[in-house]
Amino acid sequence: MENLIANFNYVIVVILMMIGLWAMLAQKNLIKKCIGMAIFQTGIILFFISIGAKRLAKVPILSGDGVPVVDKIANPLTQILMLTAIVVGVATLGMGLALAQKIFRQHASFDEDDILKNQRK
Amino acid sequence: MTEQLPIVIILGPLLAATVAAFAAWIHPKASHPLVVTGLVASFAAALKLVFLVAEKGAQKYWLGGWGAKPEHGVVGIQITVDHLNTLLLAAVSGIALLTALYAKRLVNTELPGRQRYFYALFALLITGLLGIGITGDIFNLYVFMEIAALSSYALIAYGKGRAYMAAFNYLIMGTMGACLYLLGVGFVFIKTGTLNIDNISAALPALGQGQALFVGFVLILLGAWAKMAFFPFHGWLPNAYTHAPTASAVVLAPLATKVAVYTMLRVMVTVYSIDYILHSPGIQSVVLGLSSIAIVVGSFFSLTQTNLKMIACYVVLSEIGYMVGGAWLANEPGLTGAMYHVVADAAMTSALFMAVGCIVYRLGQAQLDDLRGVFFKMPVTMAAFVVTMAALIGVPPTCGFFSKWYLIQGAAQSGVWHFVAALLLSSLVKAIILFRIVEIGYNRVPHPSVDGNPAIPRNEAPLSMLIPTVAMALGLIALGLATSPLVNTIIAKALPATLAP
Repeated sequence: MENLIANFNYVIVVILMMIGLWAMLAQKNLIKKCIGMAIFQTGIILFFISIGAKRLAKVPILSGDGVPVVDKIANPLTQILMLTAIVVGVATLGMGLALAQKIFRQHASFDEDDILKNQRK
Repeated sequence: MTEQLPIVIILGPLLAATVAAFAAWIHPKASHPLVVTGLVASFAAALKLVFLVAEKGAQKYWLGGWGAKPEHGVVGIQITVDHLNTLLLAAVSGIALLTALYAKRLVNTELPGRQRYFYALFALLITGLLGIGITGDIFNLYVFMEIAALSSYALIAYGKGRAYMAAFNYLIMGTMGACLYLLGVGFVFIKTGTLNIDNISAALPALGQGQALFVGFVLILLGAWAKMAFFPFHGWLPNAYTHAPTASAVVLAPLATKVAVYTMLRVMVTVYSIDYILHSPGIQSVVLGLSSIAIVVGSFFSLTQTNLKMIACYVVLSEIGYMVGGAWLANEPGLTGAMYHVVADAAMTSALFMAVGCIVYRLGQAQLDDLRGVFFKMPVTMAAFVVTMAALIGVPPTCGFFSKWYLIQGAAQSGVWHFVAALLLSSLVKAIILFRIVEIGYNRVPHPSVDGNPAIPRNEAPLSMLIPTVAMALGLIALGLATSPLVNTIIAKALPATLAP
């Protein structure tokens, strides 16, 4: 239990990812699948940000000739990586929603079962 | 000058992709030659690098010069061309070039008015695939993976009818795969503090068999499997590639899955190591079992289909099982077979989809029943098709025979008999498919050379499609004949030192 409380960030990450995964795989509604995808990605972004964070850490900007003390600055690499991952996530979500819109125009429904029934006709 | 060659491989298609869509405003036909030029530059650089790597060993390049000096530390992204990826890069850029020439006619008929976007996306897809192949940084690999994936979703969605739904399912599956991969990268990063593949593989032995590293390994594998449509993540592939425009399927089917297999090989052989796999109990036999199932399931469904494109898609699925299984045999012939088969299968699938594309272009339909008399209508295309199927079955001297030979040797050496059986069964199934098509295409019409029977007019595919198809089919034989120099000078050196013969 103490372990869980000490690592509560990972617990939240796992919960977010499970919600996202469940929505992506088990939901029938295409928009809900897209929402699940966004939640899943958010979980991973949170994971990366939390592994780079430190208590009372400063921003990683070096001033003058000071030698950086690694313990006192947040790891900038994870944040930069997630900047890229957020951009990728936005692009993927946009693509997903655009496809969902096209499917809706074709079948007048977001429901996977309806669409499949429609396609068999 | 040669030290700049690795970056040329990516820059060619990337620059072409950025200007291709806009160039069409200046001249409506400018997109295609631009993309072809970019791919020619890329292929020339990749080919030169094959010889350079065979002669001098791995070529490393630091983007922007960051990281080239020791005081830079570990900042900067490295791109590497070594024995493991040089053949893949040459194959991807070469097949992309041939496909770009092949697809021109198809794009004009399938996507009139939207050619410029197709060519821009095509070049962007190739950029992503080559980027995955060349990068020496596991996060950079994720970015290239998503570049390739996003452009392939769009390329598939250009199709008619069910293409949107197929692209949507692919998007969900592909994003899940990429996210799992990214999570795995996070686990590796926590333990090693670096994203550079060389630095990770140097740091890993000291860290032993930690749980975090194992979870990271499994997550990366799951991500790669979702991307390559390995059983049980294969559901998206047949629909996506069947309903995609033929021009998109011809480039996606051979390249996208093979590059994902390369990702798995890179993680298994360079990032982690074969020793690590051999010391992870249980997982090896599970993956080998799954590979056999993938081969059997792919073969079985390819027999039940009546649509030629669908048959080709299920053939791709069963071939994925070959490579994953070969890699997880984790012995010398198995890995050699897997590495060789990545290149050979890219060529074979490309030739198969090109031939199917020619048939679809002329006959409009790709149902088996529509193929009556096709051998008289399109003799050259069908000759290429028969050579391709022979390669897929594994008839010497085509490349398919040699990769299968190595794989069976590897499986026998480790005593994994179910994998041997699956390989032979899959050959048998492909032979059945070939004879079925020969039976329908050749025998089910009155033979035109007999007096009194109606003549069947020749209706061959246009030359711009026929020449790449025939070139690819001849390439399969050439690749087979070149097996021993390729394996001895390049693939044997990509094997980890503990396995080298």
